[in-house]
Amino acid sequence: MKECIAMLLAGGQGSRLYALTQRLAKPAVPFGGKYRIIDFPLSNCVNSGIDTVGILTQYQPLVLNEYIGNGQPWDLDRLYGGVHVLPPYQKATGSDWYKGTANAIYQNINFIDRYEPKYVVILSGDHIYKQDYSQMLEFHKQKGAACTIAVMTVPWEEASRFGIMTADEDDTITRFQEKPKNPESNLASMGIYIFTWSKLREYLCADEADPNSENDFGKNIIPNMLNAGEKMSAYHFEGYWKDVGTIDSLWEANMDLLNPNVPLDVWDDKWKIYSRNPGMPGHQIGSNAKVDNSMITEGCKVDGEICQSVLFAGVTVGPGAVIEDSILMPGVVVESGATVKYSIIAENVTIHSGAEVGCRPEDMEDKDKWGVAVVGEGIEIGYKAKVGPKAMVVKDVKDGEEQW
Amino acid sequence: MVNTNANALGIIFPNCYDELLPEMVTERTMASVPFAGRYRMIDFVLSSMVNSGIDNVSVIVKKNYHSLMDHLGSGREWDLARKHGGLNIIPPYAEANVKIYNGRIEALASIESFLENQREKYVVMSDANLAINFDFEDLITRHVESGADVTMVYQRAPIPACIKERNHTMKVENGRVVELLTNDDRPGVQNISMNIYVMERKTLIQFIKEASARNLNSFERDILARNLSLLNVQAIPYTGYLARIGDRKSYFDESMRLLNPDNVAALFCRPVYTKIRDDAPTRYAMDSHVRDCMVADGCIIEGEVEDSILFRGVKIKKGAKVKHCVLMQGTVVESGAEIEYIVTDKNVKITADKKLSGTDSFPVYVAKGHTV
Repeated sequence: MKECIAMLLAGGQGSRLYALTQRLAKPAVPFGGKYRIIDFPLSNCVNSGIDTVGILTQYQPLVLNEYIGNGQPWDLDRLYGGVHVLPPYQKATGSDWYKGTANAIYQNINFIDRYEPKYVVILSGDHIYKQDYSQMLEFHKQKGAACTIAVMTVPWEEASRFGIMTADEDDTITRFQEKPKNPESNLASMGIYIFTWSKLREYLCADEADPNSENDFGKNIIPNMLNAGEKMSAYHFEGYWKDVGTIDSLWEANMDLLNPNVPLDVWDDKWKIYSRNPGMPGHQIGSNAKVDNSMITEGCKVDGEICQSVLFAGVTVGPGAVIEDSILMPGVVVESGATVKYSIIAENVTIHSGAEVGCRPEDMEDKDKWGVAVVGEGIEIGYKAKVGPKAMVVKDVKDGEEQW
Repeated sequence: MVNTNANALGIIFPNCYDELLPEMVTERTMASVPFAGRYRMIDFVLSSMVNSGIDNVSVIVKKNYHSLMDHLGSGREWDLARKHGGLNIIPPYAEANVKIYNGRIEALASIESFLENQREKYVVMSDANLAINFDFEDLITRHVESGADVTMVYQRAPIPACIKERNHTMKVENGRVVELLTNDDRPGVQNISMNIYVMERKTLIQFIKEASARNLNSFERDILARNLSLLNVQAIPYTGYLARIGDRKSYFDESMRLLNPDNVAALFCRPVYTKIRDDAPTRYAMDSHVRDCMVADGCIIEGEVEDSILFRGVKIKKGAKVKHCVLMQGTVVESGAEIEYIVTDKNVKITADKKLSGTDSFPVYVAKGHTV
């Protein structure tokens, strides 16, 4: 038996990341030079001493399945426990897709019961943060709560984008509002829950029996528990946390890694973020290269100018190419003389010489039209072609053509 | 590639040539000498074997092998954590009346019964002092086709200074070795043995038995060289990329050669595997200045670095200047320090404002864990 296991919701399509999630689920989106988003919650689990993790997948699971494999990179290849990918499956009584986050857990009650856990941590696969769940579990036990929700204070003007908690001086949650127009608190739910398993099991079964339910944690389970008078506590998290569900937030979170004043430190040996390693030689910085405030990893060949950018494994930047404020995912090739500014370039894209992708906001007359440009996986941007700011490119751009 | 079985057993001798590199091998073997930013010497030959379909590899260690065992672990990173075969590290028997072996053949004698019990038809043997990306599959095929008893591999080059007193050269006629010399010192281009051999497992066992019966210990001098008329020993020239580590100077020179991207491409033409350390990407701070470098992950660079190899987790502080250096894992160069032609071993610290320089012909070596 295990005291505490984790269930990681990784079925999200990530439709707002559009060009980046055509062929992979959001948690598998590359992040921070050598990671995928899911490495953060997974590494948090291992570093917190949680050695049993169920990953609930549904949308485009191929890349994610292969990436997780037997869980060895995260030290989650265990005899008892370890990591398990849990797609929807056929049962004697029929089969169902996961209808909502709560239904996904409901359909895997048998998986959880096998470990007879006292507590279950529910996590999302689309947040970037470092957290010791064992401290939150301590808090949960101390408060004797049925459910503990990790919260953080957000600026009041942003509060209406989140699930907002109102808590008393004992951190007991008194009210929960999902994306309220007029928030009465600025404590936002981070989508990280610890439940006492026996309680959650009860509410999951009740929720499943309710035909009108959307089978969602935020919309159904949490309000139902609160209404029934269960003890629910708010655990105050301090530190870096970001939902990377949009192009802008994904870009910002990558840039945050380059800002020494932001408390997101992946170089800390005491809380390593693990990932599956591509196994390439060290990167090569050539004679013409100029690198400023950037992150570069294995297998890269850099001979151009890199400023304020994140380069993933095996990226090639030719002489005279300029990369500014951009994210280049594994295997991207930028030929000589091309420029890439304020862009996210997905895996194995080739940008031919003289092409221009994205631009600086200060170079735009109409600032409202500016945004981060995104080029989808495997696309070719032709010789002297141009990709405008805020563009979402999912088809090749031919030589000399423009796409906005 | 990886999933085709070559029907051959691999044997690696990690301690061969230890004595040529005394400073670096006080606490390690030749095979565990760090090279090319994130690798150990053994990674090259071991990965070559794996890429050639050899999935049963024995590493016969002799001494100082803790760092090597730590590096290899279960062999998982090389895909050698197998139920059948896989990686097999063989330390010497620690018994009062068993002497620690000297020659290759004595080392093999200690695993004779192991060799008898294997299933593979062929055996390939190699040292670990060469960084190469070698196609053993092709070697085995050519060995089988030629019908040779033993096939060996040579490099055509002038004899490097570092192995003046530790080499074998050969005269080859139509692919067959007709003369095998020990410690050749002739000038000019010679056929230098790379100490890579392939033969049938049964042939090797026969050699071992004869050698122990007649108290012989050199594989080349006592077994091959004396029997060239009886044995069909074939030799194949190697023309790929080769870095030979023989002394401090050659270590430095071979490291510097990797600053040429063509050489890196040649050495890594097929993947080379190594122990994973889970480092974050390397971080270049504002106003850092780096050119002509090979840099592994986990470094934080705030100062100036030129023409250097940086291993994993090296820190170059603001205002520090590094030129023509090889800085191994965990080296810290504090602010204002200036170093040139220096090789630092693991976890060396160069304190603030220190100036230290060697020369192109005599790079200075700073031993593991030292603070300058």
